[in-house]
Amino acid sequence: MPLYIYVLEDLLVALILLSSFVMLSSRWISFYIHAYGFQSFLIFVLTLVLGIESQNIDLYFVAFLTLFVRTIIVPYILLKMIKKFNIKEEVKLIVKIPLSIILGLLLTVFAYFLAYRLISPFSPKIVINASSIALSLIFIGFFMIISRFTTITHILGLLVIENGIFLLSVVIVPTLPIIVELVVLFDILVTVVAMLILSMFMKAQTGSFSTTMLNRLVG
Amino acid sequence: MKIFIITFLIIPLFASLSSFIIKNKRFAEYISLLSSSLCLLGAFIILYFSISLKTISIFNSAIVIDKFSAYIILLVSIVYFLSSMYSISYMRLAMEGEQLTGEEFNRYYLFLNLFALTMLMAPMINNMAIYLIDIELTTIASAFLVIAEVTEKSIEAAWKYILIVSAGISLALLGTILFYLSGNIPGSANTISSLDWTTLRLNAVYLNKDIIRFAFVLIVIGLGTKVGLAPMHTWLPDAHSEAPSPISSMLSASLLNTAMYGIMRYFSITGKGIGFNYPQTIMVIIGIFTIFTGVMGIINQKSTKRLFAYSSIEHMGIISLGFGLGGAFGTFGALLQMLGHSLAKPVMFFGSGNLLHKYKTKDIKKIKGVFYVMPKTAFLFSIGVLALIGSPPSVTFISEFLIILQSLKNGYYAVAIVLVSLLIAAFVSLLSKVGSIVFGKDDNSLNIQKGDFGLASVLPMALPLAALIILGFYIPGNLYRLLMGITHIIIIK
Repeated sequence: MPLYIYVLEDLLVALILLSSFVMLSSRWISFYIHAYGFQSFLIFVLTLVLGIESQNIDLYFVAFLTLFVRTIIVPYILLKMIKKFNIKEEVKLIVKIPLSIILGLLLTVFAYFLAYRLISPFSPKIVINASSIALSLIFIGFFMIISRFTTITHILGLLVIENGIFLLSVVIVPTLPIIVELVVLFDILVTVVAMLILSMFMKAQTGSFSTTMLNRLVG
Repeated sequence: MKIFIITFLIIPLFASLSSFIIKNKRFAEYISLLSSSLCLLGAFIILYFSISLKTISIFNSAIVIDKFSAYIILLVSIVYFLSSMYSISYMRLAMEGEQLTGEEFNRYYLFLNLFALTMLMAPMINNMAIYLIDIELTTIASAFLVIAEVTEKSIEAAWKYILIVSAGISLALLGTILFYLSGNIPGSANTISSLDWTTLRLNAVYLNKDIIRFAFVLIVIGLGTKVGLAPMHTWLPDAHSEAPSPISSMLSASLLNTAMYGIMRYFSITGKGIGFNYPQTIMVIIGIFTIFTGVMGIINQKSTKRLFAYSSIEHMGIISLGFGLGGAFGTFGALLQMLGHSLAKPVMFFGSGNLLHKYKTKDIKKIKGVFYVMPKTAFLFSIGVLALIGSPPSVTFISEFLIILQSLKNGYYAVAIVLVSLLIAAFVSLLSKVGSIVFGKDDNSLNIQKGDFGLASVLPMALPLAALIILGFYIPGNLYRLLMGITHIIIIK
């Protein structure tokens, strides 16, 4: 591979990591959604670059579907939802922002450690960098779900996890059958729509998108 | 065969769409019952084909049905049939007594059949990634069934369910991608570019061993969320207790088995790749811990439906322990336990649905003297709980006995002791709770009208109970051969 591909890929994955930290450090829901859209766009560019480099037509296809679903449709639905219900409330945080950034950093370090143990024996260095950032996206997504109490941030946490898995699959197994990527995208759409409908029910019943009052079922 | 399978899958789809479009309540009830009985018939035909002929493999091996798949399809369709029969009684009573709106009623039948469709499809799919997405679709369909009656509690249950299980399934997807990677290591001689379990199992020895280890753990965590293995079970009691009773029984008796099926496919791939010791140890440890969690939940329980939800967790623990112990007895016992679970759980959930309609509460302390109020339900309910906890003339007794036997045979005496004591604890606490419900002193101040509900509320309890007890006395030769065949499929080296 030519050198500029390496540079480009490193740059892109670094920006992807940065966008997940933007999500960790923001208090406003619309910030989250824009950061998610930006992250998906970067993943699209990365997939396209890899597709051009390896002359893999499937990857082009997957890249444009990613652009379509993850970068345009999903953020559009979420933003529309926010406008419709006029959500201006801040995200309720269980972990304060500085601490959550530090924890995010720790998770990233752990992801690097894991990738070195798991993938390094048989992979070029470039793959390790990208795959550890993909793993860290998965961890950060989980962290976002457990540390924030709004339905929209829960959905975005799941979407970040899916982004991480997608990035990992594109980087380490670019030959993955295209049908898998297709059904995963379909699944994302269905899940997001279903969760939005559920949160609308929640809004109608409890008057808020906050999940802090969901504590009745115990034992 | 192609046309048959397509028809088999189109029947529930047609039932769900037509009941949603034609907004007639009686039509929706009877088309669902018709579709589920056709599916039951179809499941028996599929089973017959897969026993007498070879594995069914159609559409370029996109759909592969071997004995194991056919068995799971049969279990799913049994529960689908029972649930759609019981729904007739349950939903009518809910319309009368609990302000269920007509819109919610139609949505219920739309998603009931879709849920059944996704579960019937899951064991047929060869590609494991698509199987996982199908499991995700079952989550979405059933989450809308959990909020069949929209209340704050049911929304909470559905939200927890969809969030936790989706996160779990994404971990399982990561595991699946790692399985793919393990066959596609750059620079290695053998590349296995497929996610079909048939191909993976055939070429399991060529997969990279380190990655398989990690991937199998991810699969157990991910699909285990859906199965309800502790400590990933937290969504299960909530969703089971807040869903309408027919849905609780479908969630418990067939969905958990459908997810367990996926774990077992990976189990046999992993076992073939790196030896069965590693996956078996994982299944034993997680199984014991799950049984422990389930039993503790049973002991501390105050609500009828949560009681049986925790009992489902316990049963899933027993099943994974059985598979983990391996051997002929353990695997056979686990498979038989799946059947026992599928037959016993509907009885209990339908019974608690009848109690819910009569007493308008799920609180165990407030339900007393059912024997005097609803004699038929009380009779079936109390025999059902005996069959559920594995007292002798029932199929669960045989399966649990076989699993204990296997643990003794393997020399895991500690496992056997822990298992037996936990089973006794579950036995005692379930019996005392159900005893107080059924025979407790009748509180006359409640002003409850005596008498059972109609036939549709009792027959779905009687049918599986009869099957449970008959199978406890006599296991037909065909069933025996089927289960032995599946045992060979799972643990063949």
